[in-house]
Formats: sequence, structure tokens, C-alpha cells
Amino acid sequence: MRTRATTWLDGVRRSISRIGWPRTDKDRAAAMISSLFLHIHPARVSRHTLRPTYTFALGLIAGILFVVLSVTGLALMLYYVPYPAEAYRSMKDLQFVVTFGVVLRNIHRWSAHAMVLVVFLHMCRVFWTGSYKPPREFNWVVGVVLLLLTLGLSFTGYLLPWDQLAFWAITVGTNIAAYAPFVGDQVKFLLLGGHVIGPMTLLRFYVLHCVMLPLAMLMLISLHVWRVRKDGLSGAEVPAPAEEEVAGVFPASTKTYGLMALSRRPRASVESRDPNDEVFAWPHLLYRELLVALSVIVVLHVISLVFMAPLEEMADPTRTPNPAKAPWYFLGLQELVHYSARIGGVIVPTVLVVALLVLPYVDRGKAGSGRWFAPERRVANSVFTALTLIFVMLTVIGTLFRGPNWAWVWPWR
Amino acid sequence: MTNEPTATTAPPDRTRRSIFAVGCIAIGAATAGFLGATFRFLVPNVLYEPSRRFDIGSPQEFPPGSVTFLPDRRLYVFNGADGFYAISSVCTHLGCNVKRGGPGFACPCHGSQFDENGQVVHGPAPTSLAWYLLSLSPHTQLVVDLDQQVGPAFRLRT
Repeated sequence: MRTRATTWLDGVRRSISRIGWPRTDKDRAAAMISSLFLHIHPARVSRHTLRPTYTFALGLIAGILFVVLSVTGLALMLYYVPYPAEAYRSMKDLQFVVTFGVVLRNIHRWSAHAMVLVVFLHMCRVFWTGSYKPPREFNWVVGVVLLLLTLGLSFTGYLLPWDQLAFWAITVGTNIAAYAPFVGDQVKFLLLGGHVIGPMTLLRFYVLHCVMLPLAMLMLISLHVWRVRKDGLSGAEVPAPAEEEVAGVFPASTKTYGLMALSRRPRASVESRDPNDEVFAWPHLLYRELLVALSVIVVLHVISLVFMAPLEEMADPTRTPNPAKAPWYFLGLQELVHYSARIGGVIVPTVLVVALLVLPYVDRGKAGSGRWFAPERRVANSVFTALTLIFVMLTVIGTLFRGPNWAWVWPWR
Repeated sequence: MTNEPTATTAPPDRTRRSIFAVGCIAIGAATAGFLGATFRFLVPNVLYEPSRRFDIGSPQEFPPGSVTFLPDRRLYVFNGADGFYAISSVCTHLGCNVKRGGPGFACPCHGSQFDENGQVVHGPAPTSLAWYLLSLSPHTQLVVDLDQQVGPAFRLRT
């Protein structure tokens, strides 16, 4: 009887997971490939991939933040009503009535800020290591679109609390958009669903924020990660130093890439790499990822328990706070807009985005990929770093050094 | 069943080619129509927002020589020596409310300054403040139309 029950249970388990809890390297490798959720990893990864100082796990952290934002966002949706006065009341409810509502909202808010920052840093990392070089040009383009989507998600979310901060930040932001030539006013009208920020605007931003942009983001993240999976991490082609070689510890690659025959084999092919330079993704990569995820969640909780997400008084279209500022990641642009609306609002952002999009097709040199600050890329790195520094400086000035009437203030006074 | 490409023996069939071309054009047109319809769907037909044309009271409520700020309408109404006129308080820079300061207006957000006619004196604002058409309704109420801008020479005499 006992054996029959065990056999039956075993059959059920097998129907769910073919391998079960894997106990050998071979089983773990098989599990990585046969599971929908794990097969985003290869079975074995280069040791280079695991060096924390190469990637600083920035892409991974951005992905984790996206998951955190999706989960907390879904929870917040249960209490949020996307209609002007109600929206603000549901914020108050979350803050004072709903159990743990305030923590959830704080986590959502700070994760959103963190995601903008981390995605930006990830882009810098990819540039400084020359990782957009062939065969990864298109993945850079996908990454730039993901950066824009991140900004779009953060911006649309900014209006939802319907407080003074939200209302005037979106007023300033949409007015910057209206400076676009020819279509600016129409884009603003479509975005607002009218001439002024009102119920229609809130609903549009809500749908964009909760459904359309996250779906687009999910699709593009999948594509982005899939291509990393196919092309491998940049620099993995660089042989590991002799002392790191552990010849003979791991068996030679037995990977069958026949499964992937549907697509052209990536140029950084498995065969060209040294099998001795590779380790099994489970446990070496997987456990590191779990550790990073855990750390991110712990840090987010600590921040969210200590720092409250801002909530000002209810939006009042008749009273402009002084100064009225866009969300912080647009303050570099607003600082430029303060000098000239057309340059700051149209020309600079357009040029920046186009330059980022075409970069891998213009900078065609193949040297210097896969290492930080490769000397062969001195010019490219200098230009990029200078532009980044200018942009960061403008953002810091706009955030900290601008007071009422956009006059210069010292933040410590 | 083999994966060998089938050898083409007969010359291309003109009728099939034409049907294929017509089909492609039809699908293209349908796609364009679909995109157009989607775009049109996004443009609201009715705006559930305050009317762009509204009355602000009878002229007697604005004494001669006075300047009245209507915060809900974001509008300054002047009763000058030669008639009434209305200037928007929406800064043309980024949409903040300008305030009366000295003879003209000043924007609290980014420091734009305008003279008493709303012309840019200084600052990032690209254009002068909007002047809106004022008219008298049959019930002798002052009516503002936000969809009709006028020049700074405009005056309404009652």
C-alpha cells in the first residue's frame, strides 16, 4: 500500500517537474534548460560573467526592481481609484487606513526612483565596457528603448497620487513635450485627453502606467535578456587568467545547442570558448542572483520603513507652488529649458535619444569590447563620460540648487 | 514530404500575381485604416472639462481702472481707460500661474517677466501671455473665449 501511494505521488511529481529537485550537476544543468522560468539562463556560464565588478549586477537589479514594482503596483491597484479627488483620498487611505499600505506605497515609490537610476547606471556600464559592439548592437538599441519606457512609466506614475507635487510636475513635463515642433500641441492634447490636466488625463496616465507601458516593458525585457542569453555576456571571450583556471574540475561542455537550431548560432559560440573557463549556472549564477534579489528587497524595505514617500496637499490647478519642478530625472532638462525652451525641450532630448539609438551603428570599431575603460576606446569613453557628467550636473543643479523663481540657492542654507 | 525546393517549371501565373498584389494592397489599406481609426479613437469627442467659452459676470462687477484675477479661470480681467481686456495667467514657458508684480507679471517657476501688456521682458518664456477675445452676451454679461486669441490692441467697449 505504502509503495503504491509513493509511486502514485511520484507520478504526480513527475508530471509537474520531470527532473525533481536536482542532485547532480548534470540534473541541475538539465533543470536549467527544461524549466520555462530557468531557461533564461544557459546551463553553464563563463566565470567572467560572475565577476561582480564587471557588471555590478545592474541589469539584474533593474529586472528585480521591475518585478518588485509590478507586485507592489498590483497590490496598490486594489485600493486606488483613478478619479481626481478619489485618487488623492485613496492615497490618504493607503497612508493611514490600509494595513501596511504606507509601506507598500513607499516601496513602490522608492523602487521607481531606484529603477530610473539603476537603468541609467546599467547603460553607463554597458558603454564603459564597450558591450554594444557586434554582435550586441541591436540589444543596445532595445536597452535605450527600455530606458525610455522606464522614464515613461515613472512619469505616468508621477501623476497618480493627484497631489500638488504630481499635478505641477506633470504640468511642467507635458508643457516641455508641447515644445516639440509641429506635433507638440497635438501630442499634449492626446496625452492629456483635453486641454487641461483633469479626469481624462488621470485615466489615460493610469491605463498607460498600469497596463500598456508595463506590457511593452515585459516584452522588451524578454527580448533584451533573450539576446544576452544568445550572445553571451561581453568579454566572456577574453580568456581567464592562468591562476583562475581549474582544468579538469568540470567536465567538458556537453551542451546540445540543437534546441536552438531555429535561430542562427551566435557569433560568440560555445565551442569557441574554453570549457574550463565555465561553471554551472546552477548553483554559481542562480544563488548569486537570489542573493542580489534578497539584498535589493532588504534595502528597499529598510529605505521604505525610514523614508516616507512624499504626499502634498490635494492638486489645486489655481495655485502654482514655487518652484514647480518636474520629476528629478527630468530636472536636467528643466534646467536647460530654463535657459531656452526650444533647446532644452526639443533639440537636446531629440539629439540625445537619436545619438544613443544609432551609436552602435556609427561607432563601428571592434576593439576594446569586454573590458572597463579599454584604452582603445579612449575617445568614445571620454565623450560619453563628459556628456554624462554634464547631464548629471544639470540634474543636480535643477534638483538641489534651484529655489523659488528658479533662482540659485545653496541647499545647505 | 521532403525539404527539397520544388522546381518551378511553369512561367509565373499573371492572374495569381495580380490577385496577390490586390490582396496586398487591400491588407495595406485595411492596416492604414485600422491605424487611422485607432488614432481617431484616442481623440476625445466630448471634453468633460470646464467650457472654453464662459461668462464672468456683468461689466459693473469690474470697476474702472481695476484688475481682477480669476484663479479658477487662470485669467486677469482689466477694465482700462479705453475698455475691457483679458490676459491669461498661464505662463507660456511651462504653464505656471504668473503673478502681478510691479507694472507687469512675473512667473514664480522659472523667473519669466512680462510687461503690463503681457509681452516678454525677460526670462525663458518664448512668447507673450495670451490675450483672449472678450464679448458681451445678449444678457450683457462679459464672455471670454479661450479658443480665440487677440492682439494687445484689443479693447471691449461697453
